[in-house]
Parts: sequence; structure tokens; C-alpha cells
Amino acid sequence: MSVTGSLAAAAGRAVHAVLHGVLRRDASQLPGRVCLAIDPQAVSHLRRKVQQGSVVVCGTNGKTTTTNLVAATLEASGKRVLCNRAGANMLAGVTSALLARGKADWAVLEVDELSCAHVLPQLEPTYLVLLNLFRDQLDRTGEIDHVQDVLVESLASSPNTVLVVCGDDPLSWAVALRAKESGTQVLSFGVRDGMDIVRDRVPEARFCQTCGEELTYASHAYAQLGDYRCPSCGFARPRLDFFATEVRVGATGIRLTVTRDVFARPWQVALRSSLSGAYMAYNLTAVAAISQLVGIAEQSLQQVVEAVNPHNGRQERFVAKKRNVLLNLAKNPTGMNQNIALLLGDQRQKAVFVVVNDNPNDGRDVSWIWDVDFELLAGRRDVGCVMCGGLRSHDLLVRLKYAGVGASFANGVSDALNQTTMLPVDCVLYVLTNYSALVPAEEELRRLAESNE
Amino acid sequence: MNNAGVINRRENSRGLRIAHLYPELLNLYGDSGNILVLRKRLEWRHFACNVREVFVGEKADLSKTDIVFIGGGSDRDQKIVCEKLLEQQGELASFVEDGGVLLAVCGGYQLLGHSYSMGDEEVRGLSLVDFYTDRGSPRLIGNIGVQSRIAREPIVGFENHGGRTYLGAGVDSLGSVLFGWGNDGKSGQEGCLYKNVIGTYVHGPLLPKNPGVADYLLLRAMERRYGVTELEPLDDEVELAANRAIFARGQ
Repeated sequence: MSVTGSLAAAAGRAVHAVLHGVLRRDASQLPGRVCLAIDPQAVSHLRRKVQQGSVVVCGTNGKTTTTNLVAATLEASGKRVLCNRAGANMLAGVTSALLARGKADWAVLEVDELSCAHVLPQLEPTYLVLLNLFRDQLDRTGEIDHVQDVLVESLASSPNTVLVVCGDDPLSWAVALRAKESGTQVLSFGVRDGMDIVRDRVPEARFCQTCGEELTYASHAYAQLGDYRCPSCGFARPRLDFFATEVRVGATGIRLTVTRDVFARPWQVALRSSLSGAYMAYNLTAVAAISQLVGIAEQSLQQVVEAVNPHNGRQERFVAKKRNVLLNLAKNPTGMNQNIALLLGDQRQKAVFVVVNDNPNDGRDVSWIWDVDFELLAGRRDVGCVMCGGLRSHDLLVRLKYAGVGASFANGVSDALNQTTMLPVDCVLYVLTNYSALVPAEEELRRLAESNE
Repeated sequence: MNNAGVINRRENSRGLRIAHLYPELLNLYGDSGNILVLRKRLEWRHFACNVREVFVGEKADLSKTDIVFIGGGSDRDQKIVCEKLLEQQGELASFVEDGGVLLAVCGGYQLLGHSYSMGDEEVRGLSLVDFYTDRGSPRLIGNIGVQSRIAREPIVGFENHGGRTYLGAGVDSLGSVLFGWGNDGKSGQEGCLYKNVIGTYVHGPLLPKNPGVADYLLLRAMERRYGVTELEPLDDEVELAANRAIFARGQ
């Protein structure tokens, strides 16, 4: 490492020591920022201490969960791993994660789609996982076309990176086809057999990414994911390199089998997890694919996936005020629709508390709530009560009114729980929040769970 | 529901026909919310509502349409739509001149003028209303409030556009900007109002928090088709509270 590089890294670590060690503050961003201010190419220097390789995870939904699972499987097989677990996924967050002292075997990093343009040329990761592309934060990220262009250019800047891509998503697969043309090696994953779940809207990508014809589907998974084909130009889901079969999505978890489609030496692993949802089938298939590629034993993978107990507000379970509570992130229409599918699949009585903020990191435009199928909650006897919160609670209440769903305001999780006291004891409260509302809800739930009121 | 108890005294085989143009291409920003609001506000008054989605390759039968809705889209999709619409320019112009109701938001708004810019290219628009749109930098993004003569409450919503729209001398704007950017960030005016056409950059979507605008459009269409001069009031407490919440934040 150059003198500047060493100085930059030392400065970053000093900031980390003060923030984390002395002030007990979040140190996921600032150390990286300080380091980058001195050495803008810090990532390209820091990557040398990662000895075996690195995995970058990007995609609109599922980054944090997938990243943490990949990191955990590597650690379970004895590897030293650097990871931005809390989800600080822009260049500064990635730099902060790489600043940790000592050498590591692997870096596993979630990276914001647009930040790939800065991270990939410096990091040159071994693998880039592209989970999916949905409409999200239009005011910040712009249209999906733009995100696709950035990913194609990023891959071109890192020619040895292998793209591990969801072949069931026409938007992601279109990126892969373009990257292939410029020489990127591509492996695809997906769900081979259809899943028996509630169908949601196909909000985008109804049309062929190559010629503009309307796509036809042999089967749908969720949103625009499925077994698609263009009737006119041949753009279609690829033959999947890694595929899930026997997928069972339940209220309390998921089971699936993931196979690598290689002729000589087939590889297969059966997984089960308490995380659920159609989208989790894809996250877990991606985790399995990376595990196979980096040579993790099936057993380690199975154990990690089965034992997963997220402490990051992603399908995190609590008992608060004597009620079961499930907290989950829902920050765009596809995410919210997946949550609605998940809760409607739960046989128990439920109450729902939806929280939407419009802080800069949420996207200030909340019109996406009109693309959510809240209508599915109307007239359900198993949905006892629907509540709205957050800076845009008024918008939610209007949306629910037009969906035919009667709702009330709740000022935080505790208030929401108080409003459910008339509901049966086995009624579960689903708390669905967007980005900036997640941590406050999680902290409130943790306090309530600990105080055991 | 708040409005379930509204008793309607009119006999009711009457209703409106809405054409939603190219929803598969122009569907950014929860545009479907605008259609839902028109539909519900008709149904709550016991009027029928027939929404026809007109897809690329199809043609809207404007002689059987009361309200046309055009939403916003990506640049690429917007250009495809514009080419399709230019094929029906004559019919659209007659519909507008005859008092047909048309709501166009964001990208759809820009299509109504003489031209708009896409990159360095100047794209010909429908010339339904006398204005043109240039490209500008930066994008104008944020909450917006507009005082308009068509609604009692200020119109509130969110804007996000690179275009700068310049109205012809004789064209009314939808209203004056109270906070936010509006047509070009400088004139203090937002949108256009021409006969029964509303073009605007306000989305969020536009109609849910602005029930006055929704009812303005519905009344104009009911007037044209049935000679109706007033609509049964609805309980808009929830909508207006949301309107006030954004207004209070914008001030």
C-alpha cells in the first residue's frame, strides 16, 4: 500500500476507534468517508488484504439478508470475513467495512445498485450477485433503464467478475445479456417449479427488454419474476445454472431444494429456514449458489440457513405486550406486496401496522403506495385491524380508504399494540415499515420485549 | 367506509367512461391512483364508471369517452407513446375543442404541447395546448403546493421533472406556485388549464389528496354528457387532512 493509502486507512481506523470505542456511535460510514477523502482509491488498496476473494450483492430487494447469510456461511466454514452487515451500502460504507484491522479471507459486501459504478472498478470482486430490479426511489435512483445501464458499465469496468444473476427476472437477465456481450461470465439462478402463492401485480417489465413485445409467462413467481418468453424475438428465461425446486412457502418458514445443473457432478442441497416468502426462495437460492461456487460444505450452509435469526428488522420476531409481533422492511411496491402475501398466508388472526416515512434515504416520493395491492386486505375477517404511522401516515390512510380498508392512526408500535388489546391473544401484529422507520420500530419492539410488560 | 352512508337521490343508470391511455408504458409514480380515485368518487355517488385501458396498438374511441387520462413514463416509453398519439392527433384535438375532459400528468403533460426535448432531440408534441417544453438542469424535485381557481384547497403533491414548460401568452396555468418549482422553476406558475384540459407536473398521485380537482374533472365530464351542474358532496375529511399535512410541511 502507498504512503497515502496507509495514511488514509490509519485515519479511517482512528475515526472508527473514536466513534465506536469511545463515543459508542454508529461507525458504518464516517471512517470510510475520512479514508476516501485522503485516498479516493482506498478500496482498490484495501482489497489486497482480502486473500481469497470478494462477493458483492446488489439488487433492489433482499441485499441485506442475502449478504448476511453469505457472510455467515463463510464464517461457519472457518473463514475470516469482512462485511457491511448493517447495510451501509454506498462507497463510504463499503470502505468502512474493509478498514477493519487484520487480513481476511473473504469480503462480502452489499452495494447499492448505482454505487456499483464506484465500487466495482476498485474492488474487482470475484462475484457480483444481482438479485432483482424493481422500481424503487425514483426521485433518487431514476428509472430502471438507468440502473441497468450503470450495472452494465460497472461490470465492463471489472472484466474478471462473474455475474451471478436471477434468470427469472427479465430486468436482471437483460443486464446479464448485455454484460455477456462485453465478455462477462454469467451464471443464472432461479426457481424452476412454480410456487403456489397469491399473485400480485406485474408493475413493470411487461414488455420484452430486447424488442418491446409483451412477454408471455409459463409460470409466475412474484412481480415480474417467472418463466417468461418473448413471442417475437426469443428473449426468454435462460436455462438456469442454479435452480430451486420443491419450494414450500409457509407462514412460519420456507423449504426448498437447490440444484446446480452440471452434467458431470450434480450438486444439490435441501434447505429450510424460518424466513419466508416467495422472495426468500430467491435469496436462499442465491446464497446456495455462492456457497457452492466458493466451496462451502452443504452442511455449513444448511446449518446457517436453518439457524438464521435476523436481528435487523427483516422478518424479525418479538413478543411485546404479550403479543407476537413480526417486523419486516417494505420499502417499495414489490416488497409491500410480498409482505401482504406473507401475512395473508398466515392462518392466525392478524393486525397490521404500516409505517411510511419520506426522509431522504426513503425516497421523498411516496406515490408508490398506490401501486401496492392493499385491496387484498379489504373484507378479510382474519385481518382484525389496520393502522398507519410515520411521516406519511395521512397518505396511507387515504390509500387504504380507496382500497376499501378501514384504518386508524397509531403513533409508534406501542400505541399500535395498545389498539389491538381487544383482539384475541393469538392475534399476531405485523409491523411493516419502510427504510428510516425500521430502526425506530425495531428499537421500540426490543425495549417492549425486554421490559416484558 | 366513510362514504358508505351517502344517500343518492338521483336515478342511476348514468356514469362516465374513462380512457386510460397506454398504462403499460405510462405508469410511473402510482398513476393508477388517479384512476382509482375517479372511479371511487363516481361509485360513492352511485354513478357507473367504465375504465378502458388503451394499450399500444389499440385506438381509443374518443366519441365514446368522457375523460382521457395520460400518465408519466420513462423518456423511451414517452416517445413511443407520442408517436402513437400523433396518429390520432386530429381526433384528440376535436375531443379537446369539443370540451372533452383530459388529465395529463408529468410526461403526459409535456406531450400536450408543441414540442419537448429528449436529450438533444426536439420531439414533436400533440399541439393540443399552446406551450412547449425545454430540458433543464437540475431536475426539479420535491413537494409542491399550488393555489388554483378550480379547487378550494391548495393543490398539493410531489414533482420530479427535468423539463421546463413555457405556456403560450393566451394559456392559463393551473395555478400559482405556493411552494415548490412548477412549470419552469421561475414563472411561479404550475400546469396548464385549457378548456377542460388539465396538464400538470403534480403527482403523488395528483387526485387522492386533491379531491377538489377530482370532482372538478368529474363535474366537467358530467356536465358535458348529462348537463349535470353539481355533484353530491362526499365526506373528504381523510383526504383533506392529508392535503393539510403536506401543505403544513411545505410552508
